[in-house]
Amino acid sequence: MSTLPREEWYDLARTTNWTPKYVSEDEMFPEEMSGARGISLEDWGKYDEPYKTTYPEYVRIQREKDAGAYSVKAALERDNFVERADPGWISTMKAHYGAIAVAEYAASLAEARMARFSKAPGNRNMATFGMLDETRHGQIQLYFPHTHVRRDRQWDWAWKAYHTNEWGAIAARSLFDDMMMTRDAIGVAIMLTFAFETGFTNMQFLGLAADAAEAGDHTFASLISSVQTDEARHAQQGGPALKILLEHGKKDEAQRMIDVAIWRSWKLFSVLTGPIMDYYTPLEARKQSFKEFMLEWIVAQFERQLLDLGLDKPWYWDEFMRALDETHHGMHLGVWYWRPTVWWNPAAGVTPEERDWLEEKYPGWNDTWGRCWDVIIENLKEGRPELTAPETLPVICHMSNIPIVGTPGNGWNVKDYTLEHEGRLYHFGSEPDRWCFQVDPERYKKQMTLVDRFLAGHIEPADLMGALIYMNIAPGETGDDAHNYEWMKAYMPEKQAAE
Amino acid sequence: MASVADDILHNNKVGPVLRAGELAQAAAEAAEIDNPGKEVTIEDKMAYLRIMADDELVLTQDTLSECLGRDMNIRELEVDLSSFAGQIEWRPDKVRFYFEKHL
Repeated sequence: MSTLPREEWYDLARTTNWTPKYVSEDEMFPEEMSGARGISLEDWGKYDEPYKTTYPEYVRIQREKDAGAYSVKAALERDNFVERADPGWISTMKAHYGAIAVAEYAASLAEARMARFSKAPGNRNMATFGMLDETRHGQIQLYFPHTHVRRDRQWDWAWKAYHTNEWGAIAARSLFDDMMMTRDAIGVAIMLTFAFETGFTNMQFLGLAADAAEAGDHTFASLISSVQTDEARHAQQGGPALKILLEHGKKDEAQRMIDVAIWRSWKLFSVLTGPIMDYYTPLEARKQSFKEFMLEWIVAQFERQLLDLGLDKPWYWDEFMRALDETHHGMHLGVWYWRPTVWWNPAAGVTPEERDWLEEKYPGWNDTWGRCWDVIIENLKEGRPELTAPETLPVICHMSNIPIVGTPGNGWNVKDYTLEHEGRLYHFGSEPDRWCFQVDPERYKKQMTLVDRFLAGHIEPADLMGALIYMNIAPGETGDDAHNYEWMKAYMPEKQAAE
Repeated sequence: MASVADDILHNNKVGPVLRAGELAQAAAEAAEIDNPGKEVTIEDKMAYLRIMADDELVLTQDTLSECLGRDMNIRELEVDLSSFAGQIEWRPDKVRFYFEKHL
């Protein structure tokens, strides 16, 4: 029996905007869930997804993808890469899994919202597959690290992180709740699938895969690049939704949603992906700097596509480009300094050779962040490790939920961007962070940063121990220097004398 | 920095980003054949291969099959298609990456 090719029946088969008989259109598609924005059901019916698939095709292709990723894992298991991997790379994996795996289930719920409530039939169809994709991503990214749980307890944070009030988990949850869990279907299509998935996920799932391959971790490289093939498909739900919004004169609103999503995503990546790429990944495995990956994926590819669809650069473009040289260095310094409060062991990444690399990639690094590291190195050298451990609280941004950082040393530009709203004083790490809040204060005004929780008495005793208990970081899970300060040898006088 | 970034932004490069493997190698070869007269550039990032041309790049099922040495359905490209620059259009026997606007 011959079958019709997909192209001859697909559009008709997924044209499912039937006229409801027992309920009204508004009951079937409540505005707060659908987000039709006054555009008619008929017009949403014109949504034309560029990346179409059918269930039989989907199952066949996904089976092949899984067979590939799982067989690479099985084949390399005996190679025991993790046993001999650089501790900085182990930290990269732990940070990745904890920050990503469980959030994939939230993404699945976001896809489910489009699958049920979008007024565009093509969106509903593709989101059904997207929902299955994200379940795959949650499962596979829990299964792979689970192999390592027997090694040490930090691996368990692949599952545990989002179930805690650890500060990084609060920051990540704040972003993902904003984009995935609390938006209508069209908001999800624009902010999650378009801004986040055609943009930022490439950094974490392909940029990092390039580093993984260089580091010799082919299991991880194969896994995350395979995950991204699903993203490449379901991320295409945002583009056609954007086209419809633009046709109906809603460019400003679309641009605003994208600008918020890009900025918020950037800030999370500055604390998660930046330190991983420029400090944790062993020097010889660094394919490109974090900034170079950002230029490749976000500027040359994602922002360029944005222009092609008829949108503009974000209004904060200059600030964004400036931040590519700065923010993640400050974040790294903070994460290393508050290292007991993360579920991985941050690698300092500041041996003389690594500093040369940083200076080359970020001219001026030694005169700015380097000067803070000089003090840390001096304290370690003089046998005062307690001075390199956290005693005070950082000022945390009410939008990104991560510390407010700036350039130290000769480039000093640290600034708290404040805003008083309904009698409460808010602090922000940048003008765009403050702007995100001002776009929709109702959405964000009740946010309690970890420091707010301290001051409100939620954390007892109000010291590091109390904070660790609050963050559910058990003994054996607290972070410490990834290389157990081995890198300090390069700075010790004996060593210099011996040479 | 902003002006350097603007130069990087104002490019017209489109094309697939494929996970390393035989499909990526076949696609790199096929891109040359399927896009005559175009300068096709390949960036090898070890984990992935970026295949690019200005404004438009096409990959056909026939050429891909030929380069691969076996029959493949164009949809199988998805198995390794991790990302792409530009917009995408799938046809029964080919896939096209393109920009609407040349900058």
